Amino acid sequence: MLVAKVFRSTMAHAVIRAIDVSRARAQPGVYAVYTAEDIVGLIAKPFYGPAFHDQPILALGKVHHVGEPVAVVLAEDPHVAENALASIEVEYEPLPAVFDEIEAMNSKAVVHEVLKPAGTFPDLKHLSGKKNTNIALDFHLLRGDPQKAFKQADHVFEHYFKTQPVLHLPLEPFATVAVPTHTGLTLHTASQSPSFVRIEIARLLGWPENRVQVKVPYLGGGFGAKLYIKTEALASACALLAQRAVKLALSMEEQFYVITKHATTLRIKSAVTKEGQITARECEVWWNGGAFADIGPRVTQKSGFTAAGPYDIENVQIDSYALYTNLPPAGALRGFGIPQLVWAYESHTDMMARALKIDPLQMRRKNVLREGRPQATGTLMRDAALVPVLERLAQLMHWDEPFDHGSGTWRRGRGMAIGFKASIAPTTSMAIVVINADGSCQLQSSTVDMGQGSDTAMAQIVCEVLDIDMGVIKVVHPDTDVTPYDMATLGSRSTYHMGHAVKRAAEHARDQLAAMAVEFKLTLNEVSIADLFKRKYGMQAGNVVGVGSFIPAYTSPDAQGQTLQATPFWMIGATGVELEVDTETGQFRITQMINLVDVGNPINPEIVKTQISGAAIMQMGFTLSEKMDFDEGQVTNASLADYKIPGIRDLPQFMHNEAVSAFEQSGPFGAKGVGESGTFGVSPAIANAIDDAVGVRLTDLPLTAEAIFRGMRIHAGQPLQED
Amino acid sequence: MKAFEWEQPRDWGEAISMLDPRDLTVRVMAGGTALMLMMKSGVFQPTRLISLQGLGQEAGAIVQEAQGGIRIGALCSLTALGQSSAVATTAPVIIRTLKTLSNVRVRNVATLGGHLAHADPHMDLPPVMMALGATVKTVGARSSRTLTMSELYRGYYETALEPDELICEIVIPSQVGRSAVYLKCSTRAADDWPTLGVAVNVKCDGDVIEKARIVVSAATEKPIELVAAQTLLEGHSISPSRLNDCAELALAQAPLVSDARGTASYKKELLRVYLKRAIQIALKGTIS
Repeated sequence: MLVAKVFRSTMAHAVIRAIDVSRARAQPGVYAVYTAEDIVGLIAKPFYGPAFHDQPILALGKVHHVGEPVAVVLAEDPHVAENALASIEVEYEPLPAVFDEIEAMNSKAVVHEVLKPAGTFPDLKHLSGKKNTNIALDFHLLRGDPQKAFKQADHVFEHYFKTQPVLHLPLEPFATVAVPTHTGLTLHTASQSPSFVRIEIARLLGWPENRVQVKVPYLGGGFGAKLYIKTEALASACALLAQRAVKLALSMEEQFYVITKHATTLRIKSAVTKEGQITARECEVWWNGGAFADIGPRVTQKSGFTAAGPYDIENVQIDSYALYTNLPPAGALRGFGIPQLVWAYESHTDMMARALKIDPLQMRRKNVLREGRPQATGTLMRDAALVPVLERLAQLMHWDEPFDHGSGTWRRGRGMAIGFKASIAPTTSMAIVVINADGSCQLQSSTVDMGQGSDTAMAQIVCEVLDIDMGVIKVVHPDTDVTPYDMATLGSRSTYHMGHAVKRAAEHARDQLAAMAVEFKLTLNEVSIADLFKRKYGMQAGNVVGVGSFIPAYTSPDAQGQTLQATPFWMIGATGVELEVDTETGQFRITQMINLVDVGNPINPEIVKTQISGAAIMQMGFTLSEKMDFDEGQVTNASLADYKIPGIRDLPQFMHNEAVSAFEQSGPFGAKGVGESGTFGVSPAIANAIDDAVGVRLTDLPLTAEAIFRGMRIHAGQPLQED
Repeated sequence: MKAFEWEQPRDWGEAISMLDPRDLTVRVMAGGTALMLMMKSGVFQPTRLISLQGLGQEAGAIVQEAQGGIRIGALCSLTALGQSSAVATTAPVIIRTLKTLSNVRVRNVATLGGHLAHADPHMDLPPVMMALGATVKTVGARSSRTLTMSELYRGYYETALEPDELICEIVIPSQVGRSAVYLKCSTRAADDWPTLGVAVNVKCDGDVIEKARIVVSAATEKPIELVAAQTLLEGHSISPSRLNDCAELALAQAPLVSDARGTASYKKELLRVYLKRAIQIALKGTIS
């Protein structure tokens, strides 16, 4: 097997004048060195992406961000390949670059001269992009007459917020092994979307789907990083050019240049009555999408649906922009843009409550969307436990009791936040349940278990339908030769979508077994599955194959962003925080964090709890310590030593994670997704608690001790020197 | 990573003879915890590594001296240092510091000599050793010598050691009647290089501070003894105003630098707070 090592761009935006790989090719032990020129010989149009076909397998003509793959070295010895990278020479002609999402709106630097919509997914069919701009997608929503409401308002509040670029950082980085076979190509890859990988690689090669086989083992984490095409296209191209098996496994440091979470700038403006009723809201969101769109346009649109928050507001305007910049590409990260939005609207809620001298809980109670009410898109809230989640949070935090704000140099504060999310629709899942003659069975599903426990949940669904023991089920891991299509393991969709498909497949199998029993004038209660097969086939032989598929109803929003079917279900998450601030330094510790979600009826309550805590801790990292630092597009802290994810000693002293009692009528056994809900409320709950403790309002993430200290000094009239 | 030679000398003399002062790609390796990171990131590509692991137990031994001091062989692992009863008796501040220094995997292989010679300003033991008045003994091709910690550190990752000179021993003088404290703080995750380190060592006669040593690290390019601040304390009992004056002198003397962990002006505020806290804790230690 050959190992591939990637030569990456050192420029943020530049024309490639020349690439000289002759010295690298001449190194002993180097099998091959490829550039875009070689790739084009195999794949005439070597561009991929889920929303736009904007990402070249290797840089073609120009580079769009630091870290973009420009060339690749293959060798049997990884050290030989690594060393050969140093002898590749590229001559660049620098182009003006743009890094900031606001500057990108009107920048002279244009990242892509030509926009190539992919047209793959039905919810992104309308994508066209705006030529000669950096706007990949602009989503607009208008409900009622906000301008009129602002004119008539008792109070108008307007605030700006920012979120920083962060990244997924699964402890297993991206890895693909591509093996040429006599029928085509087999990929062993760390992917959350095996079906998409097969379709996209087949499209690039002009092959039918069945010539590409994609197999996925357990993943060492994903969080949205391993979606769509990441290392698969380059590994495939290398394997086919070399006609050898090729392994492309990135280092932890390389992850910083593959996919990130959108940095955002958010503006939010509300009209409020003197009693605290919100009558109008305007939201503008600018998403820093980096050099390639990846799934950013969907993040922009789907999160745009709920940018105004879980509040009953008659007049709403939302303008959301997915922007290209010369940073590494941004995609979906555990929450699909929702944590960025909740950060803004729930900070805004407390800032208004404080100004109006209304208790933050009362402010939320007064405005929260109640069951059956239309949300900003016009879609009705159904089985959305916003009120139960909010009330349970208030109860667990003893919100109505007096709170000790501390004394001396330690000040205490508490804060809450609640957010919601529309699921990703319309997306398809298929499943196959095979019953063997001894009564054991296989579930064939392309859902990827990356630690979230989907294997267990899906097996439970099969057991429940077939009334069999967990021990007799084998969950077959994604292998596109045997497991049927699934859109992807993302956006907390699997329990609901794949759960339905699996349930239907199991029901289909059960119905066939029941029909077999009827042949012998029996019911399934009167005969074991093994006996049934014996009676039917005279020996231990035969199978029953149940198939199931699911796609929820969805109606694309109209030009005003209105639709009656924006989502098949609503996800809800809230967080309450108590913390203590050392007023001498601004350092603080979270003494209590309560995370509540609505997952409908949890299929596996223990797994649900760990999903909630995992999501909340991850978001806590994005809130307190994680930040990608850039210098002219170059990441200056691309290592775990310098990019700080939370460790065990950073956890809150006390954590409570709970799914409230709820039921999703449209879900399998009343369930809906949970992977992301724990992230929603974390950032604003912490910021709101800091404000409650020391009166400092932070509007930019991450929330650092220094920012708090500076805020306190400004209040004291002794601002700290900037340097 | 390119192929390189691997040598395993049996004594210090042999180790020194294998070094080449003109060739910086030839280096010794003790625990290797810092060196491996540099090699993995490509910052350092050796042609020859000289492992000191074959030097024998004596090179890492801890010896309690009759006068109350201790001598520690440079090859002593941080774990062995943390488990030493001689260290616990003589300078318990080292034991306390080791509990929050890196992690057990690193401490098991990292050595005290390597830790001090690396000269990363964020490391914990250089300021502690400086506050304790420790010295290092070196062996070199031409001569051996003794350096104070202030003499050892020249700057950011820079020591006074010659290319063919190695630290072989660390000597900590008797700490009888003294009380030492090391405080550090991180500003991002708890497991991070410190934003600031402060080491304080005082000797008191009743309420009066006879001797004081104050060292700042991590926020500076190298650990620095804040002489003016410590002089202010000596010969006096502590009062709130003297504590404040001491902190102000420290702030004036410490050349703090901005980095990803915080701005210099914020680190100044941290130094003010942590220095006062460290002095107060050290003074309590002398009373008990």
